[in-house]
Amino acid sequence: MTEPAITVEEFFKRAARGELTGIRCTHCGALAIPPRALCPECGERGWTPVTLSGDGAIASFTVIRVAPRGHAGDVPYAIAAVRLTEGVSLLGRVVDIPLDRLAVGTKVRFRPLVVHDRTAIGFGPV
Amino acid sequence: MRRVAVIGIGVTKFGKHDRTSAELFAAAAADALADAELPASRIQALYYGNVVGGETEKQLHTSPQAASLLGLPAVPTTRFETACASSHAAFRHAVMEVGSGVSDVVMVGGAERVLNVPTADSTEYFAYASDASWEQTLGLTFPGVFALVARAHMHKHGTTEEQMAAVAVKNHKHGVLNPKAQFQKEITLETVLKSPLVADPLKLYDCCPFTDGGAALVLASEDVARRARRPIWVLASAAASDWMLISDKRDLSRVPATERAAAAAYRQAGKRPEDVDVVELHDCFTIAEIVATEGLGLFEPGTGGLAAERGWTSLGGKVPVNPSGGLKAKGHPIGATGAAQICEIVTQLRGEAGPRQVEAARTGLTHTLGGNTATVLVSLFGRD
Repeated sequence: MTEPAITVEEFFKRAARGELTGIRCTHCGALAIPPRALCPECGERGWTPVTLSGDGAIASFTVIRVAPRGHAGDVPYAIAAVRLTEGVSLLGRVVDIPLDRLAVGTKVRFRPLVVHDRTAIGFGPV
Repeated sequence: MRRVAVIGIGVTKFGKHDRTSAELFAAAAADALADAELPASRIQALYYGNVVGGETEKQLHTSPQAASLLGLPAVPTTRFETACASSHAAFRHAVMEVGSGVSDVVMVGGAERVLNVPTADSTEYFAYASDASWEQTLGLTFPGVFALVARAHMHKHGTTEEQMAAVAVKNHKHGVLNPKAQFQKEITLETVLKSPLVADPLKLYDCCPFTDGGAALVLASEDVARRARRPIWVLASAAASDWMLISDKRDLSRVPATERAAAAAYRQAGKRPEDVDVVELHDCFTIAEIVATEGLGLFEPGTGGLAAERGWTSLGGKVPVNPSGGLKAKGHPIGATGAAQICEIVTQLRGEAGPRQVEAARTGLTHTLGGNTATVLVSLFGRD
């Protein structure tokens, strides 16, 4: 078995320290968010971890007002799909930006969050 | 592949039931057998859809349980789970079993029970169909997923909240004509627009309800179907997938799995979108219907909202969509939905849909979407 370049657990350990890790295909150079066994671009199996800037822009967003039981105390909260400057995307909670100021295209920066004892992706103002 | 037909259908009333999902399936399945005019002993396999039985009923191994309650303990059974598309996935595999000649008569069905738990719990269980590491941790809900799709569609195409509301108004209007529907009450645009926000920009009336219900159908090979009273032929059944994570989808205003499954289904059937007379599609949220009408090729990308607003998808319009009332008004018992959509199209193609009948319907399409748009099934049907 080929060892993965980075596991989900390791990704979130690093994310908790403020570091976002992507993986780059050693064959064709495609960038992805881990984990991925095969490169979706060239089909090869070889990845190397790379550090991402964490800067990006909101591609779409919503404000959750009816939450699952585990998050019911958090409402309202914003979730956005963010396209990072490197071209890959991540979903995250948006914090420290007023809900009525959110818009497609708003520039945001990654920050680690702890949501109910688990590390989660967050984005705040640049 | 041999030709395959649907020769019997059965659907329970949708809404709140004080019965287990297996009981709901068994009631629908017994109706389907009676409709097919076949004894239960002719059934050679059960393909079954059930999604959150493990959570709401603490019940796994639901397919042999469903077969036992029907009174068919000996046939091979398999449970399919592709979130809300489960019984449509079951249907596709059953079509392959009959089409390949392995069996001549097969039962397909599904059932779900969720109204026995509080909404906060069912919202959580449904969210299990999104990714546990990357999405559930954020508190992402299914209205949230389609809110992201809605915002992207509005941004790219100028789709409006009023156009989305028009989908809800239309499907409630259709639902009034369906005695099995959960809601049989017309609503106005204002009802939708003034309802409370669930996940901006989606409001309560943009969302389908939680529903208990069951549905079943009997599939038969051509030899058997020729002796049936009203066979409706399966012209195609196709499936496609997309990236699991919402963030891996490049353009949130589209559902590529719908486009891929539709292309495969039209190719199998030798049909084009303009050949379709009646459609049952997956309107779990109003925006989902808009995006699906575009992905199925019924309307140009970006014009799905306009189509709803202009009445092109209403009964009597260009392409009637969701004459049953759709998931929005008929209800959405997730494990049963795909099978129930097929039952509606069979009813329409038999010409037995009464006040909601689409006139002279010869070709019908069903579209079922699973979870965060990562699974889509599309099937096409025709009559003699």
